[in-house]
This record gives sequence, structure tokens and C-alpha cells, in this order.
Amino acid sequence: MAASSSSKLFRVGRSILGGLSNNAFGASRPSSELTHMDFLSQQHRTFIQMRTNLKVVDNSGAKRVMCIQALKGSKGARLGDIIVASVKEAHVGGKVKKGDVHYAVVVRAAMQRGRCDGSEVKFDDNAVVLINKQGEPIGTRVFGPVPHELRKKKHLKILSLAEHIA
Amino acid sequence: MRLEKCWFCSSTIYPGHGIQFVRNDAKIFRFCRSKCHKNFKMKRNPRKVKWTKAYRRLHGKDMTQDATFEFERKRNRPERYDRNVTENTLRAIKKIDKVRVDREARHHAKRMKGKKAQLQREAAKELEQSIHMVKAPAALQQEPSLTLPKLKVKAPQQQTEDNRMEE
Repeated sequence: MAASSSSKLFRVGRSILGGLSNNAFGASRPSSELTHMDFLSQQHRTFIQMRTNLKVVDNSGAKRVMCIQALKGSKGARLGDIIVASVKEAHVGGKVKKGDVHYAVVVRAAMQRGRCDGSEVKFDDNAVVLINKQGEPIGTRVFGPVPHELRKKKHLKILSLAEHIA
Repeated sequence: MRLEKCWFCSSTIYPGHGIQFVRNDAKIFRFCRSKCHKNFKMKRNPRKVKWTKAYRRLHGKDMTQDATFEFERKRNRPERYDRNVTENTLRAIKKIDKVRVDREARHHAKRMKGKKAQLQREAAKELEQSIHMVKAPAALQQEPSLTLPKLKVKAPQQQTEDNRMEE
């Protein structure tokens, strides 16, 4: 679970930061020094590629999914792209079982994506919604916020099921 | 196009600037620049960070309630385009800004009032207590012209202070 371990590291790093920031930030430090603390606080998020674990946010039955292939994009998938994923964890008695291979669309990505007005959006985690070959979602509900970018990519069904469009 | 406010420092975010962070509970945090974003990631409370508007408002450094703030309330109903309304709004924005700036200046002046008197009192006290650092006490006794006058009259005191500086 690369994503969860890296996020755990980040949280640990942040708690160390929290402890250190009380005494260290009071003291003057040269701005050119890139310390261990600065490195921990600046996590650079990247694309969704092979072996990336993603959360599933619909009620198709799957819980965690691992990306096998990012269609479109030499470096990997971003917010709004379609990936091929293999189900790693599933709810019992759901529509999908563990070990199934499905298409999925990325609805939340920790890496920021530029919008057409020049601003950037980023989410808290990496999440997908499972779809079939035609682009229709397998589940009937979608949880959490979804971005506007899905409208351009013609995933209107997902947008209509979403509870909040960011 | 909409001008947003930075969540951390409360400055306006113009189009093309900043990062928007969407949390999983669908709360959107907008930041004007990476400084604010990094402070947010460090979990700093803007009410405790001195340079933010939140701190200044909380600690009474800036105005909190004013009629000019009512004009900037967020409106969610789109207005039909009317050229006259647009023109009037643009003119009004300039005027309201001027009024707001004047009122803030007055608020600042009121806050700083009494500083001058306090500075003078402090200067007088320092002159009385630390004069031995400038001129030796023996010299003061020998030449009575150099002794400090009584503190009742402020202007001559300033004059003798200047004379000493010239010496």
C-alpha cells in the first residue's frame, strides 16, 4: 500500500514538525538551508501509475483497487482520466469481486490539476469510480466531492450521482 | 469570474492565482499563494499568525464592523446585464473603497493616539535617569549651566537636550 504508507509517513512527519515547530521556528534559521523538516513538509504529488492504490467511492462493491494501466498519458493518469484497475479488496456480495479487472475513472487526485481559468485544484486522496467499457458507472451511488473536469470528459452520469461538485 | 478570499490571510485571489484544496468533506480551501498554503499544511491557526487579517480583526488592530463591508457580501443570484447598472457599480466601488480606506486610517489614528505623549514622558524619564552616561556627574556640579532644568516646561528641556547633543 504505497499510498497509505506514504500518507502515514507524511502524518508522522507532520507530527514531528508540530513538535519541532514550537521551539525551532522561534530561532532564526538561514533561509537557504533546506532542512530535513522542510523536505518532509513539501510532498510533491505525482501521477497515478501502475501499482498505485486508489480508493473506490461508489457502491459497486470494491473497496481498494490497484492501477494496472493508465490509458492516455505517458507519465500516468491525472484527475479525470480513465485507468485500468484490478480490484484488491472488495465487500462481500458486491457487484465486483476481488481480482476483477475493470476500467475506472479518477475522480479525486492528490496531484493538482490546472483549470482553464489558471487556478489549480487538488484533493485530499486518490479515488476512482468503476466504469464499464462504454463509460457508464457500475455502481449507483458516488460518495464525496467530484471535480468539474468530468463534465468535459463526458462522465455526466457520475456528475449526476455526485453529492457535491467541487 | 469571481474574486475569492484566501482562507488563510483573507486577501483577494485574482483569476489565475493560487491553489484550491478540496477536502473529502467537500469543504473548499482557497489560498492566494504558496505561503498561505504551506502555513495551512503546517496546521497553523490563522487567528494566531500575526500577519493575517483574521488575527488583526480578532485583536482589534483593524476595523471589524462597518457599513462598507456590507457591500462586499457574497451574492449567489446572477444579475442580468445592464450597462447602466454596471457603470454605476464601477463608480460606486471606487467611492466605497475611498470611504473604507479613510475609515481605516481614522481607526488606526485612534489606536495610535496617546503614543506621542507616552514617548515624551519616556524620553524625559530616560534623560533624568541616564544623564550620567552622557556627562559625568562631577561635570554637572561644576558647571551649573549644564544641570537639568525642572520638568515643568517641556520646550526648554528639548533645547538643552539638543545643546548637549551638539556638544
